[in-house]
Amino acid sequence: MGIIYILGILIIGALAAFFVDDLNRKWTGPVAMLFGFGAAVALAVLPESRINLPVLGFTLHWEMDALARFFAWIVLGLSALALMYSVKYMEGRARQGYFYAAFLTSVAGMFGVTVSKDLLSFFIFWEIMTWTSFLVAIYNAYYGVETKGIKYIIFSAIGAYAMLTAMVLALGQYHSLEFGDLATAGAFRLTSGSWYIPVLLLLGFAVKAAVVPLHVWAPAVYPKTPMSFTTVFSGAMSKMGILGMLLILTGIFHSGRVGELAALRLSLGWLGGLTAAWATLQAIRQNDAKDLLAWSSVAQLGYIVTAVSTGTRLGLMAALYLTLLHAAFKGSLFMVAGAVEKQAGTTDFRKISGLIKRMPWTFLTALIAIISLAGIPPLGGFVGKWLLYESLISETHSYFLVILIFFASTSAFLYSYRFLFGLFLGQEEEEAKQVKEASWWMLIPMLALSMVSIATGMFPGLVFGPASRALESIGLPAGNWDMSILSNVWGNQTDVFTVGSTVGILFVLWALFITFKGKKNTRWLTTKEISTSGEIPAPEDNFTFQRGFFKPFERAVGRLYRWDMDAMWEDIGAALEAFFGFIRKIYTGNAQTYAMYVIVFVVLLILFRNYIF
Amino acid sequence: MSNYQEIISQYRPLLEIIVYGSAVALILVGLYAVLVKKHLVKVVIGLSLIDSGVNLLFVGVGYVTNHTAPIFSPGYENAADRMVDPVPQALVLTAIVIGFAVTALALSLVIRLYRHHKTANVEQLNRLRW
Amino acid sequence: MVVSPVHLIAAPLAAAFLIPLLNKLYRDAARVVPGIVFLYNLIVSIILVNRVFQSGPIVEIIAGWKPPFGINLLMTPFSAVLTLLVSFMAFVIWLYGFRFKRSLKGGVVMYYEILQMMMAAGSLGIILTGDLFNMFVFVEITGITAIALTAFYRDRDGAEAGFKYMLMGSLASVFLLLGILLIYTQTGSLNMAQIAGRMPAVATGVKITALIFLLISLGTEAEMFPLNGWAPDAYSQAPSPTSAAFAAVLGVAAIYALARVGFTLFDHGSLSAFLTVMGFLTMLFAEMAAIAQTNLKRMLAYSSMGQMGLAMIALGIGTEAALFGALFLIINHAVIKSLLFMSGSYFIYNLNDKRLSALNGIHKRLPYVSFLFSLAALAIVGFPPFSGFWSKFYILTAAGERRMLPLIIGILAVTVIEMTYYLRVIGRIYFAKEETEPASHKPSIQALVAMTSLAVLIIVLGLYPDLIAGYLHKASMFLLDKQTYIQTVLHLS
Repeated sequence: MGIIYILGILIIGALAAFFVDDLNRKWTGPVAMLFGFGAAVALAVLPESRINLPVLGFTLHWEMDALARFFAWIVLGLSALALMYSVKYMEGRARQGYFYAAFLTSVAGMFGVTVSKDLLSFFIFWEIMTWTSFLVAIYNAYYGVETKGIKYIIFSAIGAYAMLTAMVLALGQYHSLEFGDLATAGAFRLTSGSWYIPVLLLLGFAVKAAVVPLHVWAPAVYPKTPMSFTTVFSGAMSKMGILGMLLILTGIFHSGRVGELAALRLSLGWLGGLTAAWATLQAIRQNDAKDLLAWSSVAQLGYIVTAVSTGTRLGLMAALYLTLLHAAFKGSLFMVAGAVEKQAGTTDFRKISGLIKRMPWTFLTALIAIISLAGIPPLGGFVGKWLLYESLISETHSYFLVILIFFASTSAFLYSYRFLFGLFLGQEEEEAKQVKEASWWMLIPMLALSMVSIATGMFPGLVFGPASRALESIGLPAGNWDMSILSNVWGNQTDVFTVGSTVGILFVLWALFITFKGKKNTRWLTTKEISTSGEIPAPEDNFTFQRGFFKPFERAVGRLYRWDMDAMWEDIGAALEAFFGFIRKIYTGNAQTYAMYVIVFVVLLILFRNYIF
Repeated sequence: MSNYQEIISQYRPLLEIIVYGSAVALILVGLYAVLVKKHLVKVVIGLSLIDSGVNLLFVGVGYVTNHTAPIFSPGYENAADRMVDPVPQALVLTAIVIGFAVTALALSLVIRLYRHHKTANVEQLNRLRW
Repeated sequence: MVVSPVHLIAAPLAAAFLIPLLNKLYRDAARVVPGIVFLYNLIVSIILVNRVFQSGPIVEIIAGWKPPFGINLLMTPFSAVLTLLVSFMAFVIWLYGFRFKRSLKGGVVMYYEILQMMMAAGSLGIILTGDLFNMFVFVEITGITAIALTAFYRDRDGAEAGFKYMLMGSLASVFLLLGILLIYTQTGSLNMAQIAGRMPAVATGVKITALIFLLISLGTEAEMFPLNGWAPDAYSQAPSPTSAAFAAVLGVAAIYALARVGFTLFDHGSLSAFLTVMGFLTMLFAEMAAIAQTNLKRMLAYSSMGQMGLAMIALGIGTEAALFGALFLIINHAVIKSLLFMSGSYFIYNLNDKRLSALNGIHKRLPYVSFLFSLAALAIVGFPPFSGFWSKFYILTAAGERRMLPLIIGILAVTVIEMTYYLRVIGRIYFAKEETEPASHKPSIQALVAMTSLAVLIIVLGLYPDLIAGYLHKASMFLLDKQTYIQTVLHLS
């Protein structure tokens, strides 16, 4: 019953927020937050449980096992923090009741997806999550409802309907919708006669996970949604695609034939790698922090998809690890972007910079998250990348893919730096002097997510434990894990704690060194002085290079930028609409034409009656 | 009397051709008016013609040679097996009434259209399209 | 209380003719009496539905002539479900329209109510009758009243829409008559059960010609693809409660007639492919036309045609699951599309503008109506947890059982189009820049009750579809069982 309680808490929270907003707008946010935390607490005390609900001859099977719990923690934990962040972030905005109602319903949908153990309830919750998130995604009225939000819903619909097609075909063929039954019957095998079922399902999941070339909705929608929801959007909802992949692919991982696994690794792995590389390249050229983060999300999901495609225990471990980590650091990065947006009014690198002194805590969060994202040792991102590389090199031997991933993650340094430099370092401008630090309501969730990055970096075992149980629950063999030791197939061990501590101590020493070295003879330099090599510039000169920041790099890879996938999809859409506009002219409005249709139809039917009936 | 019946049975095929042929011709003429004529009243007339054609077809189908009208009158109590089929005639009566109602409605619409458009050209009716 | 199916038709017909008299006695009779009649109808149909599902079909003999000779009314589980639906929707639509256009003078309202009642009576007649020619009469009654209602606002567009409807409707009735004539000459009967029994003996060529004629005429009523030119005009020009009734009353009757002809009179196997393909084309063309509409009611009209197309697809597939889906779809279509028309018309009423672009930011003026409209829009596209999902899912399931992969993909691709334009409207209502004008027409209490009850129904059926599943299963089984139908009517002891 526990599952229903959690769903109930979220739904009641949605209704409560909706109606509280009419009474007193101040309380909408806190009420929603309370219900969000309530759901998270309920999850903490929820034992393993399962429910079967009969409906229309089908059985909805919900089960809280280790895998579900792993993802449910990401969903509910991140949502609770995002709701807390949202209280101040959304302050003063209109229609908060609407916003929180859709937010909480969407969280309920995501939670439902995590516990679903049959395709029907998976699909139902998936759709609930989709349309509610659409309602939130179009919340900001300032951008065209007609284009961006619709792009999201069209892609989601294509994905969801691919799933639905697979579902009805599976039902027709195997007479069951349980993941377990279908896996046993081999419905998810690429080698069986029903190869289209897993392919269609993967297509559906790939849309949510924003895999190239179905990714275009994500960079369009993430930046335009209120940041408190984008946190969940990118951190949790996109992971539902990963969950789906894990659920249906285990059969192949488990006992797949060599060719089957190779096909999967080649297709999905390379799609993930390409996603990572392509999105990274796009992220580098963005001029707005939110756009940059959106593309970065797509790139990170590319790594996760690649990790899933390996199908080995280590690779899946990497996938789960990166899933959690991405939720943590990308969640906090979107919160940072939201905080800057709220306090400074914009996140455009060309308009704002040098916020480090004005928003130190926000900067600290951003720094930690960026280090984690870049995969630098003391923090969690390193462990995830390590696992991914190790499984790709030593287990699946996909060296070319490693090169691609390596290219993507090194290029990620470029945008990571851009983000930090653009918003926080750089030259402080006049407008930035008025900016104040964000409210603690916003800082606490951000710092909490930073703590996750630090803790998982120091003690990866915190994640390995639940992740390992999660993998066992979908039938992968149990394995050893240690609180802070990574080992590889050659038996070499790397104690992350040692590595992390070493790097941390070195950092502190370096900081001390540069602080005390010749303290008397130095003075603080401003960025402007660095830019002018000590010459005295006129006060109005601006030396912050925010325009064309990576111009040399863009020149180097310029050819890649020419192909605009977004424009391709938009052209297709425009062509279709033009076609529809042409087709509807058959309704000419002339009564005699309509009468003629009737007569022609009769004559045709009579002429061809032997073929038709 | 018998002479008359003989003549009729002699020309039975011809009669059939005349009855069915004129019914079909009526329908086709009506269709022509409905599909081609541009005047709204002519279109309505076309519809009435189609209706009449169908009704004629009904009557023709119900007719059986040498049989009488399907009415039980004094002296003809046992004439059931010599009567023509009464059902189509009943149907035709109903259909005529319905056709009358439709024509009346159509004409009232035509009047209204004429008032608004100042013309009864069917091609003026294209404000609602696509 | 002794009730019979006759009451369902006789009560509204009698009331329709009595209203002019009653209106002389009591000024508001025209507004009140239809409500009483529809409520009576609703109660009667609930009683009858219970009786049908407990003790089998009811055969009602009119004027003492036993079935093959006289006219009989027949209430099978299949028609019982639809009867209840039509009675319920007629009542709700009356409730919605109770204070409809208060500015109109009494006489005009009287005509409106009379016509609405006749339309409901005719539709119930189509659903209940067991006689082919009787069905023709009822089709004509509904047709004529529907045309009159289309042209109810005596404006230019209304008359134009009415004329088109009249032209198409007349052609349809001609083909219906021809079809009946052919069937009568071959089987010598107008009783549907007897025709069904004698049909196998009829020569194939004639049978198919008759089938084509019937399909053309009923297809026109059911908005089948090349025959549906009248529909967008009629839906968009009729008064809004009537537009709702077109979907909830007329559409139901049309689909019933199509199902009865296809499954009982003729052999379903021979027209399965035809119905599926034509249904799909209907859906495809309607939704393609709908996405580019600039007029709200016209968009809803095309969307209705799309739903009818889906219902035809389900009839075409023709398995028990598909019929279940079709019944569920008809119920959903009636409820949801009515709600869309009802709430949408309050937008139009407030804006005096049918264009979609006028809807920008309307939710500030009409928050609750906007909420209902959005709910209905999400439901009709088929998002869970609303009732629209289950019908679509069941139809797809039926197609999946028959491995009709192209059909499934086609339906879903068309649904993407449908979703696009409905969600665009939601986006407009809530998020486009609003124009600030004070609300002038808040919905009346009766309209709010009517709309809310429909919204509740959408949610309840979405969360707990098993509420009606048992009835629908039995109804769809019975439609497939031709022999029982024949025996029930012909072997009365």
